[in-house]
Amino acid sequence: MFDIQTHMDFVGQAKAERWSRLIITFFGVVGLIYGAIVQQFSQTVYVLGVGFLLSSLITIPPWPFYRNNPLKWQKPVNVEQKPQTAAESGDEGKTKKKK
Amino acid sequence: MHTVLTRGNATVAYSLSVLACLTFCCFVSTVFLDYRTDANINTVRVLVKNVPDYGASREKHDLGFLTFDLETNLTSVFNWNVKQLFIYLTAEYKTPSNQLNQVVLWDKIILRGENAVLDFKNVNTKYYFWDDGNGLRDNKNVSLYLSWNIIPNAGLLPSVKSTGKHVFKFPSEYSSSI
Repeated sequence: MFDIQTHMDFVGQAKAERWSRLIITFFGVVGLIYGAIVQQFSQTVYVLGVGFLLSSLITIPPWPFYRNNPLKWQKPVNVEQKPQTAAESGDEGKTKKKK
Repeated sequence: MHTVLTRGNATVAYSLSVLACLTFCCFVSTVFLDYRTDANINTVRVLVKNVPDYGASREKHDLGFLTFDLETNLTSVFNWNVKQLFIYLTAEYKTPSNQLNQVVLWDKIILRGENAVLDFKNVNTKYYFWDDGNGLRDNKNVSLYLSWNIIPNAGLLPSVKSTGKHVFKFPSEYSSSI
């Protein structure tokens, strides 16, 4: 009844990884500068922690916008009707019976 | 990066790597600093007694008594990689039996944020000034100096000696009984 999608497509996975790296690195650098200005290393750690939480929120759950590039599967080949053609081309052997 | 768990794992691992890099940056930013400052030390009352050292050999050893003044400003020592200072006062002298004697007489912990401007008058020592023989009476050259250990967030544990020291001498007669 609930059709909840929990996957990311390949483009989405690359995007999620790049964004998590960017967010954490950015907050780390900002935290280092801020901590050096106020001379409190704990502030650096807190700013990095904020970056970690933000990155977790944005890139860990499989949000719908990570599913914008679905894979184009080939149409299933009806193997029973044409056994001789399926045997000729070995590539299509893996595409049979996807469901 | 294909499931929630692998993404969570990657995020945690990368955050910890970044934290390690930041800690290293903090260490590098303070490792070449010069932590020496000046300290004014002065002795007020100096006595030496000859009493049995029951803690060691039970023979009569020299025991020095002194009160001292200490004035120093350690605020410049603190930075973002200093959590606390352990400051201690050392007496250093030479006896016929030992080329170098060092006795810690007093110490104090200063946490970051506490008052680091010290101005003590006529303080008693915290620890006994025992000599391991009879080298204190009439010793003309005993120097007192202040040192501090820096306890950092990350990095080395430097032990720094203050630039000022005080030289005093013990009296040539033992004081009477305790």
